[in-house]
Amino acid sequence: MLRPALIVGLALLLSLPVQAQIRTTPNSPVTPAASQSAREVLAQVRPAVIQIKSFFGSNTAQTSHGTGFAVKDGGVFITNYHVVADRVQYPGKYRLEYRTADGETGAITILAIDLRHDLALVRTAGYAPQPLKLQPSPANKGDRAYSIGFPLDVGLTITEGISNGNVDDSFEPRIHYSGAINAGMSGGPGLNDAGEVIGVNVAGYRFEQLVSFLVPAVHVQALRDGDHAQEATDIDLKKKAAAQIHSHSADLLGALDSTMQTQSVSGYSLPDKIAPFINCHASGNPVSDDHIQTVQIRCLAKAGLYIQPNLYAGDLRYSHYVLSTDRLDAWRFANRLSALTLAVGNYGSARHVGPYACEDRIVGLKGFDAGMLVCARRYRKFEGLYDFVVRVSSLNNSKRGFASHLDIYGVEFEPGMKFIRRYAEAMEWKP
Amino acid sequence: MSADRVVVEGLDGHGRVQWRERLALNETRRTFTIGRSIDADVTVDDPFAAEMHASLEVTPDGRIFVNDLGSVNGLVICGKRLRGACDFEVPDNVLQIGRTRLRVRTAAERLEPERPYQVRPSSFLRDPAWIAAIGAVIGGLQLVYNSWLSAPRDLALSIVILLTAAISIGAIWVAIWGLLSRVMQGEWRWLRHTAIFLGVSTAFIALMGILELSAFAFALPLPNSRYTWIGAFALAWALCLHLIHASSLTTGRAALVACVISLVLAGGNDWLQERYQTRNVNYIPAHMHIYPPAVRLRPSETMENYLKGLESLRELADSRLIDALANDPNKDDER
Repeated sequence: MLRPALIVGLALLLSLPVQAQIRTTPNSPVTPAASQSAREVLAQVRPAVIQIKSFFGSNTAQTSHGTGFAVKDGGVFITNYHVVADRVQYPGKYRLEYRTADGETGAITILAIDLRHDLALVRTAGYAPQPLKLQPSPANKGDRAYSIGFPLDVGLTITEGISNGNVDDSFEPRIHYSGAINAGMSGGPGLNDAGEVIGVNVAGYRFEQLVSFLVPAVHVQALRDGDHAQEATDIDLKKKAAAQIHSHSADLLGALDSTMQTQSVSGYSLPDKIAPFINCHASGNPVSDDHIQTVQIRCLAKAGLYIQPNLYAGDLRYSHYVLSTDRLDAWRFANRLSALTLAVGNYGSARHVGPYACEDRIVGLKGFDAGMLVCARRYRKFEGLYDFVVRVSSLNNSKRGFASHLDIYGVEFEPGMKFIRRYAEAMEWKP
Repeated sequence: MSADRVVVEGLDGHGRVQWRERLALNETRRTFTIGRSIDADVTVDDPFAAEMHASLEVTPDGRIFVNDLGSVNGLVICGKRLRGACDFEVPDNVLQIGRTRLRVRTAAERLEPERPYQVRPSSFLRDPAWIAAIGAVIGGLQLVYNSWLSAPRDLALSIVILLTAAISIGAIWVAIWGLLSRVMQGEWRWLRHTAIFLGVSTAFIALMGILELSAFAFALPLPNSRYTWIGAFALAWALCLHLIHASSLTTGRAALVACVISLVLAGGNDWLQERYQTRNVNYIPAHMHIYPPAVRLRPSETMENYLKGLESLRELADSRLIDALANDPNKDDER
């Protein structure tokens, strides 16, 4: 099972040039024939890898499936949180089972979860293979790597690729694995050629060329070595999930709590790449469109935490649409700007969030007046979490103007409002 | 007309005279008969009338008394059916025999004064032709202005589409009321209904535009339901005028009917909107229309004051969620 958000977000990334930089050191040994090594690695770890299936109610047909691998004696396995998310959020409706490569089956219980790193610690009933070893050092760029799992339910599979080390400027740490990870491999081990775990399969871009991601083994180690001997109760799991979401959201906004970097466009200073993990892209129309020149800047944090299908929290994105004209009159220019202030809320399901409440005013910002709209909606199941929609439109010039859109997902109210204030106060008119 | 002359008129459904028959009465003969028989003084071609249906007596002072001559269907007087009527006075000289409405005119009848030919209304604002013309010009200008705001993109196409849509809607609306007038009053009254449609709709669009512009100029909040309630007021006004001209309702009753219909529609629309906004969690219930900076007449609010106002946003969001949960039939299924 792959994270649907990454698949949905594919369109945004289609324009990104992906250059896998494979670096080998002069002293590194010559890699053995790939197929030989893959066979050896697979044979070594095969008993420790299981398929994890989720069932709705008493159905015998699975709802979804992923992979897991043994990390501790006594049948303790690691998988992705998103493989067991349905069971955590709806414990009365879903159940989990494992299936070994040899066809043995049994029940699974959840010991602990780590939403921030998309991990879950589970225990199998009646199956306790030798656990896999974790690679003691972080994954290197250019090392041979393998990924194992049960893609598309076609049986135990190994793929071969290259580890590209930790992803640069990612809010949550991820290893970039240049190899295939397909639906069903989530939670399976990413391995070096000695059969040691370097990470856990977590995501991949479906239509890109072998751009996949692993959760670093250090987070597996933290979860494995924690005090999780007993099965967690359903309520405990939900409480922990909620606490981890709050912690993630607080850390996200905390990471943005420094001086807000801005860039100047058409005389307006607007928030730009305000943190290393924020990804910004700018574009414009080289030829004016109906006498309007437009510059568009879009920034994404890509920090969203998967909670359950169609529900993410702790993320933000913002974009600025800067318009200028030398031919349109003030009325028509204002009308164009007005069309950009139309607000459509972040996509959300009524099962997860309430309706928006909004307040709009004309407020004085640094050197200019702006129409400002702030909307908030509360999460149903997670106390104290809110989505925000913010729209800021300049009102000071009849030939130049901007509309800024800020969307924040699943954060606490006060920190959210504090960020909104800093965001608006960072804007300035400096012609 | 001689004092002894009586005119019996057959009327259609709208009260217009279809045929007329004169009778001469004298001191000794003050009654005449009506029926299907050629022996009756006034013969009606109506299968629901008896051969000798009724006799009418006209007193010297012009009052009329009717006697039922044993008909099966009786008489209809002032909207009530009477059987076996005996010396029953006909109050407004109109009665129905079978399906034939009859009016008896006597010399005592008071006639309205002669109506002068082609009298113009006292003011051009009361003249439907002027109202329709002014409404058409202002409404057309508003549509052209709206198209022009998006210019130069597809200006001509936009104007054609908007005008076609507006004319089509107007034509359907006026046709409906014209048809009702034809049925109820016997006249189409195109000009009056066109004037009502153009006058009220133009006034409504202009009022909404002025409100939006004023709200921007003076930085005033506008309630989201403004279109619903101002629209209801305009609809009530238009309905009342249409009903007065298209139906036989009095002005008071027309106003009452128009208000009730408008309030029901506005209330229903408000309820549906509220329901839609509560269920559609992605809907943003606010949008500021932007006008040129020169239009602004009031200084902006400080960020501090705005943020202070936003402190209530959390409670508002919480209460909106509580409302949504109260209306969610599946809320207990979250396990």
